[in-house]
Amino acid sequence: MLRRPAWDRQDWLLLPAALIFVGAFVAPLLYFLVISFWSVRARIMRPDLTLKNYIATWSDYYDAMASTLLIALAIGALTTILALGFSYAIRFKCGRLEMPLLFLALVTLFGGYLVKIYAWKSILGREGILNKFLLWTGIIDEPLDALLYSVNGVVITLTYFLLPFAILPIYGTMRAIRPATIESARDLGAGRWAVLRDIVIPQCEKGIVIAFTFAFLIAAGDYVTPRFVGGGAAMMGHFIELQFSLGFNWPMGSAMAFTVMGVSLTLVLILRRLLRWSLQP
Amino acid sequence: MNRALGLVEELGWRAVALLLAAFMGVPLILVVLFSFNQSALTSLPLTGFTLDWYRKLFSLGAFWPALWNSLIVASLVAILSVVIGTMAALLLARMAPRRAEALIAIVSVPMMLPALIIGVAMMSYFVRLIDLPLGLPTVILGHLVIAQPFVILIVFSRLATFDWAIVDSARDLGASPLRAFLTVTLPIISPTIIGAALIALSISLDDFVITFFTIGAGNTLPTLVWGMVRTSLDPTINAIATLLILLSVGSTFLALRVSRYRG
Repeated sequence: MLRRPAWDRQDWLLLPAALIFVGAFVAPLLYFLVISFWSVRARIMRPDLTLKNYIATWSDYYDAMASTLLIALAIGALTTILALGFSYAIRFKCGRLEMPLLFLALVTLFGGYLVKIYAWKSILGREGILNKFLLWTGIIDEPLDALLYSVNGVVITLTYFLLPFAILPIYGTMRAIRPATIESARDLGAGRWAVLRDIVIPQCEKGIVIAFTFAFLIAAGDYVTPRFVGGGAAMMGHFIELQFSLGFNWPMGSAMAFTVMGVSLTLVLILRRLLRWSLQP
Repeated sequence: MNRALGLVEELGWRAVALLLAAFMGVPLILVVLFSFNQSALTSLPLTGFTLDWYRKLFSLGAFWPALWNSLIVASLVAILSVVIGTMAALLLARMAPRRAEALIAIVSVPMMLPALIIGVAMMSYFVRLIDLPLGLPTVILGHLVIAQPFVILIVFSRLATFDWAIVDSARDLGASPLRAFLTVTLPIISPTIIGAALIALSISLDDFVITFFTIGAGNTLPTLVWGMVRTSLDPTINAIATLLILLSVGSTFLALRVSRYRG
């Protein structure tokens, strides 16, 4: 590559973006990390250097932490599989419908986070559309109560919310596979599973990792969905938010937030290793 | 035999695609439908057409300021993030690819973090450390953090196929860097830039969590919806939700159209 001449060096172009990133994201996050080591006395936050918030997070919230991780894992896996299926179907099996269907998926990307949760709240309720529909078709005789205010509600709603975001990177990497590659592999005798394992998944590895990481982390830190449709589904986001809205215990909330993110990131890294390892020929 | 099996498989995949598309589309369509439905219950059957819920919404005192705040914040976020993001993408596009990708991965971190953590971190930082009063400016700062990675990514990937030789010719013929940008680069990439601005607009319009923690007093449309959902389940929510869908889905739709998104 040719080196650009000196008069074209314009490093300052990055400056505003860097200022926003550092000033409004890195600095707040660092300060937030610092206060996780502070203590609270008489509802007032005092500078300190204590681990007691982290210890309290583990001893008081270990069950909420475990259920958060399990729910987030389920949501991450489900979202990734659905996004993979959707991308594969529109890329290779839908002909001219490819672009319209992709378009539809992406149009719903920012279609109102709260609106989506609210929509599912009215769909999943006892008197909701899903129950009415299932009763009408005769699949069930009694309305299902377990849809709303349960883990199911959280999984359905968050998967719904995260799906377009997961389709974006997976479809993006899948575009690089030409239909001819898959056809010739099939002609040469590769079975469906072999095509998936040896062509599709390795090619889309980056997209899959991004989609899963995104879905998992966002699900692990959400609090609005569990509150609206989750009922008793105790997730960490809910307890973190309470430290700020009701508890006025910011150091505790901070320690909880960093614990959730730390554990989630570690899990993502382990899963990524496992995926790499399982894809080795 | 083999042929029939193949056909079943083809149809099966089409069904998967259509079912998932329905899964993604139907809930939003239902919200829109119910906003025009007479019954106060958000359930089937539909009972008749009405505009009452909109009338009720428009006569709500808190609605207009919230709409106004949402529009101010979202348009400023769109304009600022596009200027800032395009500047950054222009530089990144001419860096060594590895370095550019590493830098992009770093500025994209806010996309991967739950908004709750960004929101509470910002609130405690603004309130306790730098003593910046919460309000629309802090909301805008918060939205810039989450919108700028999208803008940078979109413009950067457009510039990956950009022919820099024409900019170099302009520079060789004596155009200043700014002039070369305004007369050569900008006209070519303007659809992408408009698309990126609209995406930033819908991200900002849609955000609830960061807004909730950084706004202090006052409302935007999503925080107003939050208050309404908590206190009632009246179809006025469907009406305001329809407006939100219209604004954010509408601008995403336009964004995909003008930038001719192809994956």
